[in-house]
Amino acid sequence: MKFKIKIKDKEYQTEISEKDDLVKIRVGGKEFDFTKDKQEVIVAKTSFSRRDFSKKEIKAPISGTISGVFIKEGDFIKRGQKVFLLEAMKMENEIISEFEGKIEKVSGQKGQKVKEGDVLVELK
Amino acid sequence: MKIIEYKTVSSTQTAAKKLKSPRPWTIVLAQEQKSGYGRKKTGWFSPRGGLYFSVILPKSQIEDLQTLTILAAFVVAQIIKEDFGLEPFIKLPNDIYINQKKVAGILTENIFGKEIKLSVMGIGLNTNIEKVSKNLEKKATSLRIELGKRIDDKKILRQIIDGLKKQLKTISR
Repeated sequence: MKFKIKIKDKEYQTEISEKDDLVKIRVGGKEFDFTKDKQEVIVAKTSFSRRDFSKKEIKAPISGTISGVFIKEGDFIKRGQKVFLLEAMKMENEIISEFEGKIEKVSGQKGQKVKEGDVLVELK
Repeated sequence: MKIIEYKTVSSTQTAAKKLKSPRPWTIVLAQEQKSGYGRKKTGWFSPRGGLYFSVILPKSQIEDLQTLTILAAFVVAQIIKEDFGLEPFIKLPNDIYINQKKVAGILTENIFGKEIKLSVMGIGLNTNIEKVSKNLEKKATSLRIELGKRIDDKKILRQIIDGLKKQLKTISR
């Protein structure tokens, strides 16, 4: 069976033939075989832009007391932007964002004591 | 010893944190600071005559940085005592007094992502300040005021850095 496939204004001459359990599909000059056992074939490598679907959270890297908050919900922040100041272990610790995105929730407030691993900011 | 020297800077800490490629033990030195600060952003009186510098610390464990911050006060106090025969009093973790008047302050700041990206220690030592402002007369002093003579800033700077390197080597073993 021969037919044409049109993808984005480009036509591809296609031919499908079937014999016993083997199905052959010819597209242009390339031929792909399908059997009962082999039903998957890479027809084309398609590159999608990489997206990070993991949850974006900024956590307290150490326990301490929040002494400064530099962001608020709804802000769009960049990677490397200072978000919190944390006083801990007799030192001052600037917490910067490893992500960029819009801030959905800010959990830390000035004066609040936090433990290592506490989520301070959630982004989307 | 790499020294980046300014005549005037807002704060050596701020300048050090902005360095594009901060290498360990690089020093940012200023003759005066317009907005010098200590812990909790309390201002640090920084007219000409004082020794104001920030040093980039090597990547270290947070516990070692805390210890080094405390030991830095001992390093500075030891120089004041042994080189000049004065009696320093350390108010832990970060201030040094002579005759109940503040003469030096130490502040360590870390920049954290998931882990430590940069650690900078700032030290302000009132070395050759001839006169402190009226409002600070009862609270602050300088080595020059206490000794009645000029002292070598660069020599003290080298001594402090050598002392810090030695202490960090000891604690991070």
